Amino acid sequence: MRDVYFPDIAIIDNIRDETGDVRTFTMRFKDPAIQENLSYRSGQFFEVSIFGVGEMPISITSTPSRKDFFELSVKNVGLVSAALHSLPTGCEVGIRGPFGNGFPYKEVFDKDLLFVGGGIGLAPLRSLINNVLDNRKNFGRIAILYGARTPGDLVFKDEFKVWQNKPNVTMLVTVDRGDEKWSGNVGVVTTLFPKVRIEAESTVAFVCGPPVMIPFVIKDLLKLGFTDDTIITTLERHMKCGVGKCGHCCIGHKYVCMDGPVFSYREMKAMVE
Amino acid sequence: MSRYEENLWVITRDNLFALMDVFIKTREVIAPVRGHGGEVIFYPIESIDDVAWDWQYVNAVLPPKRFFLPQTEIMFEYSFDNGYRITPRYDDQVRMIFGIRPCDVNALIFLDRFFGGGSVSKKAPYEEPLFPDSHYIKRRANTFIIAFGCHQPGENCFCICCESGPFLEEDYDLQLTSMNGGYAVEVGSARGLKIIYGNEHFFRLASSNEVEELGRIKEDAVNKFRDTCAYMSKAIRRVTEGKVDNSLWEKLGERCLDCGGCSYVCPTCCCYNVVDTPLAEKSGIRTRTWDSCAFAGFTRIAGGEILRSDKTDRLKRRFFHKLSYQYIQKNKRHGCVGCGRCITTCLADINMPLVVESIRKQ
Repeated sequence: MRDVYFPDIAIIDNIRDETGDVRTFTMRFKDPAIQENLSYRSGQFFEVSIFGVGEMPISITSTPSRKDFFELSVKNVGLVSAALHSLPTGCEVGIRGPFGNGFPYKEVFDKDLLFVGGGIGLAPLRSLINNVLDNRKNFGRIAILYGARTPGDLVFKDEFKVWQNKPNVTMLVTVDRGDEKWSGNVGVVTTLFPKVRIEAESTVAFVCGPPVMIPFVIKDLLKLGFTDDTIITTLERHMKCGVGKCGHCCIGHKYVCMDGPVFSYREMKAMVE
Repeated sequence: MSRYEENLWVITRDNLFALMDVFIKTREVIAPVRGHGGEVIFYPIESIDDVAWDWQYVNAVLPPKRFFLPQTEIMFEYSFDNGYRITPRYDDQVRMIFGIRPCDVNALIFLDRFFGGGSVSKKAPYEEPLFPDSHYIKRRANTFIIAFGCHQPGENCFCICCESGPFLEEDYDLQLTSMNGGYAVEVGSARGLKIIYGNEHFFRLASSNEVEELGRIKEDAVNKFRDTCAYMSKAIRRVTEGKVDNSLWEKLGERCLDCGGCSYVCPTCCCYNVVDTPLAEKSGIRTRTWDSCAFAGFTRIAGGEILRSDKTDRLKRRFFHKLSYQYIQKNKRHGCVGCGRCITTCLADINMPLVVESIRKQ
């Protein structure tokens, strides 16, 4: 019987600063066989161990369509994330997973896709965006709307151009507060909605961001004609085990680590709590 | 009757003492033991003289949960020497739990489903869990269960409302019921039968009179439980529908001391926290420890936000988990076995029968 609490060892191959407090870590499993057999869905997460400090759930930001490595974007906010941020390349961490349900993928073939991200919330969406773009012919029009508090808080800036230049992709970025160098949009992410063509009937919306952003985005999406089933979002909890046992992530009768972290708005509304 | 074997056996008290001596020599035997304050607890015994016999106690103050899910349990050791080495720690000790009551056995069956998808006990086949908990399963599989049926309800017992007592129908190894100065022995599993056949000289087959006698004893015992009542079904429905008026949780929340005692004494509560502890510069352990949804820190996330910061929400959460049909569907029974320990323990007088009764009266 596989011990579900036993972490495998991964090595940090590269570290990229996204913002002042967000870093993207490129890793691979130390055992080549484990890396080779790794398969995951966009939207799933790993439990990342810094031995002696603890374990934290982190969504996978790389796309399963690109092999030989995986990437985790981590904001320095807690004990374990601070410990990870202190590690240089070449260091070893523990990895369990992938866990969670992940985003619908084949289920949204031939649909138009709308991605609405806020801050570090772009990390799980990036996995799906790159997965979709690597399999472009399976999907319709794509719009990516992304907001952050300040220009300095935007993550994956290098990739914005790459995404923009793909056929039939609209990419718009906004910040809550600009600075002297910022010439782009200013305002919350929902102010971008009127700037793109969205046909709600043929579109599925993927929403990821800080808890304060989600209700506003959902409200506007419903106004645009999206339904409870075509709004997909994710929930954050401190999932300590990742396997539906420790009890910390329960909302109503749902375990965010097993039933989620991806939920449709319909599922979220049905949570009794 | 769904015994593993239809035959009813009988053992005299002297023979049971002798048999226990055999067990003590060959495995770790956990039995009810009287503590310094007079309370009864489950504890490893070295001699049958340590045992608090079934006529001397109703139930132990704590369930034997810790022999399956220790309060602190080492999951693995890590060490660093030119790379990390992880060494899992498992408990392979062969154990016997002697004198466990039917409510606590039913709690184990609940935990079997939760941690192992029912792969340990055989009651009600259940879908294999995606992630079986090998630490729990190993302990459970290595533990032989000798249960004692209950003649007399304790002041806080309400197992009869929770379909978890006063006698077991299945999923034990041996069930003993005090009778005519000896014990009736029911066999609930293959390994239970193996114990009988392996020590046959201690046992004899019951006469037809004794079979009838056991039936009468059980009926009498059930009748004594008639006074205790918790009307679970209405509470289950209202909790399921989210129709319990919030004022109840607010009222209880005001007096809850968030001590977590309810979870610690509850035989089905099994939430845990995970903690890394360095023991030297380059080595340490990962442990899991009991946790409780009554604690504010239970839902703390990185950055410090506490998602259920209000005691009202935490109490509501606890009873939703124990009673809602959503969880009954997952676990195939509600999360209370009627042992009454939350009644005994809670300093603020918040407990299952009280909550159930308050919901009924709303």
